[in-house]
Amino acid sequence: MTSRGTPSRFLQSVLQNGVGRYVCQLKRLSIIFSKNAQSSLGIRGFIEEGVVDYAKYNPSTVVYVSPQPCRIPKIVAEYLNGNVREEIVTGKTSIQISEVLTKLTNQSGLDIIRLRKPFHTDNPSIQGQWHPFTNRPPCIGPIRPQKQDAEQGLSNI
Amino acid sequence: MASGLLLNRGVLTLGIHCQRVCRNVSVSQVREKKRWMKSYTHLMAKKLKLEGPPAPKPRSLQPHWDFHAEVQSFSSRLQENFSLEALKRAFINPCYLQAEQERRRALGLDSETTALALKDNIQLSEKGEGFTKSFLSDWCMANFPRLRREGVESVVAHLTSSPVVTYVARNLGIEDLTMSAECPVPDDVLYSTFMAVIGALEESSGAEQTGLFLRDFVSSQLIGKDLFDMWTVVDPMGLLVEELTQRNLPLPEPRLVRAAGASTVLPLFFVGLYSDKKFLAQGPGETLVAAEEEAARVALRKLYGYTENHRPFNFSPLQPHQQPLIQAVSSN
Repeated sequence: MTSRGTPSRFLQSVLQNGVGRYVCQLKRLSIIFSKNAQSSLGIRGFIEEGVVDYAKYNPSTVVYVSPQPCRIPKIVAEYLNGNVREEIVTGKTSIQISEVLTKLTNQSGLDIIRLRKPFHTDNPSIQGQWHPFTNRPPCIGPIRPQKQDAEQGLSNI
Repeated sequence: MASGLLLNRGVLTLGIHCQRVCRNVSVSQVREKKRWMKSYTHLMAKKLKLEGPPAPKPRSLQPHWDFHAEVQSFSSRLQENFSLEALKRAFINPCYLQAEQERRRALGLDSETTALALKDNIQLSEKGEGFTKSFLSDWCMANFPRLRREGVESVVAHLTSSPVVTYVARNLGIEDLTMSAECPVPDDVLYSTFMAVIGALEESSGAEQTGLFLRDFVSSQLIGKDLFDMWTVVDPMGLLVEELTQRNLPLPEPRLVRAAGASTVLPLFFVGLYSDKKFLAQGPGETLVAAEEEAARVALRKLYGYTENHRPFNFSPLQPHQQPLIQAVSSN
């Protein structure tokens, strides 16, 4: 689809994050996997070795580990602005899953759609926005008494 | 379907839960194309259209929820040291306590043995609200020393208004943790919960840390906002005259500076205001009256120091050797 047919948004941050203090936007991770299926092998490996370290390094994210009978293992990430993102990790290795988690941690929860502009500013102009009248000399000069030469000039002609 | 089982047809295929009535009957699985699937999904879609989407459930009633862990993560996410019991008390609203007691009475539980040992957050909320208003007024006066009292009051009223506070609260994850009778949490309940969290922070970490918290999350909502969006001034020219007489400056005189398209559908006039032939401000407008009013507003913004290109607010973290927040700002 074209960019006009798909949704798009402007570059923004949730609640001016980073201006005051940086708040990690990921609030909850739910890891849904199967205890026996082969698709969840990587995730089982990750839970054995990596998930506790991850939870220790990110105290602001609550990690829920939920073994269920399921065919496709998922990681459900909930963000502070209410968005929920599901990542399907079928057949991924433990290292790939930790990369996925780093990616999810660093994202703000805003939609992953086309960004209209790669920049944003709240102070677009310091010296004042240009408009066609800026730096234009005024067409009417200051009001002065008429010159006496004009009468002499007319009489010459 | 199999007898003795209250089975939803979508159990094995769609994953919807079943309620077991009797355990000794096994469920037979059909792996081929299911002939009932199409009519079942159509019926469910019709039901959804008739009844509308299901009512929203609070996050605490959905799977994967641990209140203690969530409260701890809330505290560390905001990089604040909350005392957990004060914080947990801050999330309990009186409407929730009433609803809980109603439910217990409806279930027939004895009110003495199963009494709710929870305190609500009304006092914390009042304390937090008072602190917020006083801190925000001080912060505004420190950042805009020339802004007059009504302007400061309007800015603070805007920052402590329900839409702004509930927007901040929703984006900080307070809505999930709030215990209230209804879902989704109504605005006034969310407002008082946010104020109670501020009160709990003040109890736990003291006034300065709470001030930094408010500066980082509430005052930052001022970024990109114009003064006269928050402060309705009916007569800007009169206010400008008052301001100039207070500072013993001569009264402003409007002069037409630029004009374009005066006889067209979209005329443009620039009116400049001069005080004793010295330029104050100029403003555009479609008619001369509108341009003069806009020029007065621009002049007021310049006088109060609330222009678009004013010096950015100081959001840097407080170092231990620095002066306290308000003094450091006013020395700018």
